[in-house]
Amino acid sequence: MRPITAVFYRDYRQRMTNIGFVFWDLFVPLAYLMLFGLGFERMMAGSSVIGDQIPGYTAFLLPGVLAMVTFTVAMNTSWGFFMDKDSGIFYELLTYPITRPQFLIGKIGFSVLLSVIGSLLAIVLGVVALDIGIRWDLLPLTVVIVVAGTASWFFLFSMVAIRLQRMDAFNTVTSAAYILLMFMSPMFYPVVDLRAWFRTVAWLNPMTWQVDLLRVSMLGTGSAATLWLEAAGLVGFALACLALASRALNRAH
Amino acid sequence: MTHAIEIEDLRKTYRSKSGTPVLALDGVSFQVPQGRIYGLLGPNGAGKSTLVKIISTITPASSGRAAVRGFDVARQPLEARRQMAVVLQQAAAENLLTVRDNLLIYAYLHGMARSIAEKRMKAVAEEFELGGRLRDTVQELSIGTKRRIQVAKIFMLDAPIIILDEATTGMDPLMKRRVMDRLRAEARKGRTILLTTQVLSEAEELCETIMLINRGRTMASGTLLELRKRTAHTFRVSLSFAQTNGELIGRLEALKPLELQVNGSAAELLFHGEEASLLGKLADISRDTPILQFEVRGPTLEEIFVSLMRDSP
Ligand SMILES: Nc1ncnc2c1ncn2[C@@H]1O[C@H](COP(=O)(O)OP(=O)(O)OP(=O)(O)O)[C@@H](O)[C@H]1O
Ligand SMILES: [Mg+2]
Repeated sequence: MRPITAVFYRDYRQRMTNIGFVFWDLFVPLAYLMLFGLGFERMMAGSSVIGDQIPGYTAFLLPGVLAMVTFTVAMNTSWGFFMDKDSGIFYELLTYPITRPQFLIGKIGFSVLLSVIGSLLAIVLGVVALDIGIRWDLLPLTVVIVVAGTASWFFLFSMVAIRLQRMDAFNTVTSAAYILLMFMSPMFYPVVDLRAWFRTVAWLNPMTWQVDLLRVSMLGTGSAATLWLEAAGLVGFALACLALASRALNRAH
Repeated sequence: MTHAIEIEDLRKTYRSKSGTPVLALDGVSFQVPQGRIYGLLGPNGAGKSTLVKIISTITPASSGRAAVRGFDVARQPLEARRQMAVVLQQAAAENLLTVRDNLLIYAYLHGMARSIAEKRMKAVAEEFELGGRLRDTVQELSIGTKRRIQVAKIFMLDAPIIILDEATTGMDPLMKRRVMDRLRAEARKGRTILLTTQVLSEAEELCETIMLINRGRTMASGTLLELRKRTAHTFRVSLSFAQTNGELIGRLEALKPLELQVNGSAAELLFHGEEASLLGKLADISRDTPILQFEVRGPTLEEIFVSLMRDSP
């Protein structure tokens, strides 16, 4: 079997033994969409347009929910490194004839699958239950952004999981990242009207790039000039995290 | 021809949690020719596992060079990994997967095709008495059984080099014997085996060449015979008398043996020193209490080990 296929197959077999996990990966973002989305929509009933010409809060939130799906799935998959360390297989895996990047890329396979399924569920929910208008013609682009986002976050969290010895330390780091990266981005609200320092931080946040890109592919809003920059930023971020995570694997002991 | 394993002046310093450097390997060099069974022996913390982890590309060396079949582990890690199957000291089995999946996925991850892996899996499971447990999840198995899976996995492969770090720990004697027989058979077929062990009798029985390390340094290496010569001053003497009594035991103790065991009318003594002078003293004893049987043997590996450890700085 080819290395990447074999790593994917391993992850698939492992995840299938514990399918409950998958439920939470997908359920949490959908719950956000329904509860958070509807709640705010009611509250802001007066203002019909949010940010850049977006009709209604649920429409505004939906691309953010997709980003949240990629983030959650990636975080939970990288948590699996601790299970592998616990069983000792983590260290044995490092002796197999697979390059470190092949190993990491093989491991995102299953996460990508989950993220894409989660995203499609969120879109269907948004369209059917919340009456959100979607750019169906750009759906392939949406899928590409979901894949790139999942990969970026997975490589980022893998690097952390590989380097840290203790699971509680990992949980602290990821919880902090969860709050900071999601709230310092336009996931839940437009950042244009916020304070300058906040906008600067948000601009440097890869989550912002991903959410902006998803808003374009799903709703058709945004300006072309910054989007290219953000797309390049996201790809660069993914590659940098892959390199750092590979490096961490080379220094495990 | 290049050796199967070449280690040259390998050093490794770990940075401990407190920040103080720990020197785990301090300039170790050795070569293992193809088809040889090579044993690494040393007390806890000697650096055996560190050596294994460097050779198997888990952790980088601080300096020096390690190569397997000519492939430098630092510069050509992928090629190097293709040459070996490794059993680490730490247990390593996929807890959530079945025994069957453990064997198969290990083979897949080493590039084996499905059809071949299936066939081998059956044979390996049979040999290691896992046939009845193929559908069990590893999590539910005993520690020894997990270890058996970990070792059985390497026989799914044809990798020319096998590396085992205290691999038989936790196995029952019958399974240990089976693994040792299998390793010997593999070496005869030309595979090279590097193993570390604390069970000295195992090394004595299995290894053609043995290296003793302590605190990251080589203390001695060679065949068992060569190691015996290095510790020629240590030897074991068996004596038997018509009967023993307190006075006789007192006289034996006066010879200052490292060890003295009296068992009915027989006595076993371990000595460190000149054989000739001892023989004179024993002759004196024999004049009063005749020695009926007398035998001098070279040291066992354990005695060599103890003697070298005692002499080391
Ligand atoms: N990850 C690590 N960080 C810091 N120090 C380490 C690490 N791993 C090993 N050491 C230290 O390096 C030295 C050699 O350890 P190593 O595990 O190689 O010994 P060993 O010969 O395999 O011992 P044992 O027989 O107990 O398995 C020890 O002093 C150990 O404390
Ligand atoms: Mg060890």
